[in-house]
Amino acid sequence: MTFPIVPDLLSSLFKKPNTNPFPAPQLPPTVTGLLDEVNQGKAELNPPVPAPERLRGKMTYNRETCIGCNLCIKVCPAHAIEAIPAVKKVRFYVSQCIQCGQCTEICPKQCLALSGEFLNASHDRYDRSLIVER
Amino acid sequence: MSVNEILLAAGGALIMAFFSMVGGLWFAGIDRVLAARMQARIGPPVRQPFLDIAKLMIKQNVVPANAIPWLFNGAPVVALASAVTILLYIPMAGIPGLPILQGHGDLVLIMYLLILPALAMVAGGLAAGSPYATIGAQREMVTMIAYELPLAATIIAFAWKFASLGIEHPFSLATVAAQPVWTLVGPVGFMGLLLLLVTMLLVVPGELGRIPFDAPEAETEIAGGLLVEYSGRNLALFTLSLAVKTIVVTSLIVGLFFPWNLTDILAVACCATTAAMINLAFFILKLLVVMFFSVTLVRISVARFRINQVVDVYWKILGVLALLGMFLVMADALF
Amino acid sequence: MKTIEVKKPSGYFTQIGPAHPALKEPVMFNLDVEGERIIKADFAPGMSHRGIEWMGLRRNCIQVIYLAERICGICGITHSISFVRAVEQIAQIQVPVRAHYIRSIVGELERIHSHLLWAGVAAHELGFDSAFYLAWRVRENVMDLVEYLTGNRVHYAMIQIGGVRRDITREQFPRIEESMKFFDNAYDQLARVFLDDTTVQMRCRDCGVLTYEEARQLCPVGPTARASGIKKDVRVDHPYAGYADLDIEYMTPDRLTGEVRGDVYDRIVVRLLEVKQSIALVRQLLEQMPDGPLLAIPKPAVLLAKLKGAAGEAVGRHEAPRGEVMHYVRLEAGKDEPVSWKVKASSYSNYLSWIPMMEGEQIADIPIIAASIDPCISCTDRVALVQDGNRRVLTKAELHRLSVEKTRRIQASLSAR
Ligand code: SF4
Ligand code: SF4
Repeated sequence: MTFPIVPDLLSSLFKKPNTNPFPAPQLPPTVTGLLDEVNQGKAELNPPVPAPERLRGKMTYNRETCIGCNLCIKVCPAHAIEAIPAVKKVRFYVSQCIQCGQCTEICPKQCLALSGEFLNASHDRYDRSLIVER
Repeated sequence: MSVNEILLAAGGALIMAFFSMVGGLWFAGIDRVLAARMQARIGPPVRQPFLDIAKLMIKQNVVPANAIPWLFNGAPVVALASAVTILLYIPMAGIPGLPILQGHGDLVLIMYLLILPALAMVAGGLAAGSPYATIGAQREMVTMIAYELPLAATIIAFAWKFASLGIEHPFSLATVAAQPVWTLVGPVGFMGLLLLLVTMLLVVPGELGRIPFDAPEAETEIAGGLLVEYSGRNLALFTLSLAVKTIVVTSLIVGLFFPWNLTDILAVACCATTAAMINLAFFILKLLVVMFFSVTLVRISVARFRINQVVDVYWKILGVLALLGMFLVMADALF
Repeated sequence: MKTIEVKKPSGYFTQIGPAHPALKEPVMFNLDVEGERIIKADFAPGMSHRGIEWMGLRRNCIQVIYLAERICGICGITHSISFVRAVEQIAQIQVPVRAHYIRSIVGELERIHSHLLWAGVAAHELGFDSAFYLAWRVRENVMDLVEYLTGNRVHYAMIQIGGVRRDITREQFPRIEESMKFFDNAYDQLARVFLDDTTVQMRCRDCGVLTYEEARQLCPVGPTARASGIKKDVRVDHPYAGYADLDIEYMTPDRLTGEVRGDVYDRIVVRLLEVKQSIALVRQLLEQMPDGPLLAIPKPAVLLAKLKGAAGEAVGRHEAPRGEVMHYVRLEAGKDEPVSWKVKASSYSNYLSWIPMMEGEQIADIPIIAASIDPCISCTDRVALVQDGNRRVLTKAELHRLSVEKTRRIQASLSAR
């Protein structure tokens, strides 16, 4: 009879847990409450595991150079981009974007890029921070 | 018993019930944290089982349409009550007044009482009217029968040893507590006792329905089996009975194999209360150690057995081991 | 095998699923059981039809790549690579060699993480949660590596029609090698924990057997087929991407254990062997990778225009971690969207092997047998037929009649043009 995992188990007892306690070691009584406290500077979040340099995160958009060609809309698989024909600009809905980066490649003016920002959760899909217009 | 005594015993029983539930849940919390650490996780806070019970208590208590309500609702109460009852017979840390029903029951009674919570679960499972619960109930019955052999062999070995020495009441736990059995045997018997200890440690997960002997509940197979239809208060009662049962079986092992008290070992003389406190703390520590080796470590280091393997393991491996242990203990007297 | 049978006058009927803790995805098993033993097994898929092909027919080919990527939550490259291979054939686009190599590297990394994920799930089904945590903890390393290389943990967005979108540069090689070293050790540890453990052997040896003959008849793919001794692997049989240049062989369980039994244990063995194989392949790919461009047509707008002109049909294949995946695509000139897109996920070919595997085994074995083919149920479900609130199964005759009718309709509309 062999139980090869037992030595591993016993030795882990004396090691630090592998979990990164993000955003807090234990579930807080209310998550939104914790976030409010963080915003007020009363509490601190445990940092997430550092993301690699070339992570595909939240969209950045340079409104000045955009010419309103709407090519980005044509390739966006998630229908996350909305045209504003009146001013010949576009608007990005981060909650819908799948961060594929296809729009950044087709844009003739290189006014799009994906930043490394990935903590974009919000309880409102149309939160200010989740709509990129400039 | 006079009326006074009965009242006293009843009051004591209530206090015991309270402490055993709190203790059992605390043990469950420690068990979960230890298991988590061994799996390199952080795990829940130790108070999590208490939060779980509090949550279950305020949740709706669903009784399925095709259940037999009186049996379905009665089973958890019986399970908890019987689990607490066993505790009233088990000596603890030589604290005066414990067990409350001292002198009224012996090991054989305890063996029978141990079946009661399991039987209550079987009844509840059969009454639930769900195929998964029925499968679970059938498996629970099979498991019960399976672990009975090693358990009985151990208890017989103990009783035989004490009886062979001409001690009165060989089946009484007080007898076992008074004379640590290890001191009564020679090297051969020592080996036998070791085997019996290992067997007993592995009977515990069966008694408590933990991995690898948790076929009756088998979350990934039959979705919680016996307990699949239970919710709210009823589930809380079952959880509590399991918590109390943890204390019961670990105390039983400690009572049988490790009845030493710290004050006796160190031979310190202090007032009775302090001594009791010290002994209680030492007793709880012993329970924790037993729980670690019989529940926590076992349940995370193996895969779950099929029900036929449960029987095979209990009869063909542990049963043989226990019988061997028993014979060694008996043979010891010949030398 | 001996069983303790809880005697019942006769067998009874029970169902597992579509929602059940043993199943990570919805499928329903209909079982005739006697005591604990399964007398007859059947299953009913079609519980999670998502209409993904319908969505694809309303998007242009570039958009479909990302949609295809999301058919599966585990395989991030499987479906996109099959889809683009079909499209590349239709539009006759020549993929640069370096891009082929990068595709293979990502594909092999995916195999490692998928097999480790599976190992964890299988352990959990057995009630062996420590092995589950171990496997997933180890897997985190390859996830980090994939994130480092592609920019995301699961949806890599690496594939483009005519090549890949990101390079794997020389500066990144040490980081990859670091991970491969880690996995050399991890493989040893996992092999010990999974293959030497007595309880795992008790549960998996001779459980859920799919014999060589049965496998020949039912045509499973991937590790399920190889565990039964069938030598079958798209990477070897019909090399694509970078695989033609590699030393790559069929991984059958006898390489490690010296015998083929076709049981659950053998499926564990095969997957572990493939993790080891993938490590070696990644090393080899890095070593041999030539320089060169990444894309045949670097500008997406030009690519779109070219695809609009392309017409024809083709099948794209890929050896996914679960076995062969096949995409059928049909393009018409003047249309951005494919006119037809049919996805055959690997699990589709493996489903039927469940029946011989389950019959005669115990109820307790259902979770591990179901998991042993590593089913991806949502990837596979295409059709759910509901009429007047009732589910129906189409027979072969009905299907044939419907196809004939459709062909007639199409012919009529063509001649009317
Ligand atoms: S990153 Fe992809 S999903 Fe997001 S806006 Fe650009 S094209 Fe659309
Ligand atoms: S592709 Fe670029 S320039 Fe064109 S609309 Fe989009 S963001 Fe503006």
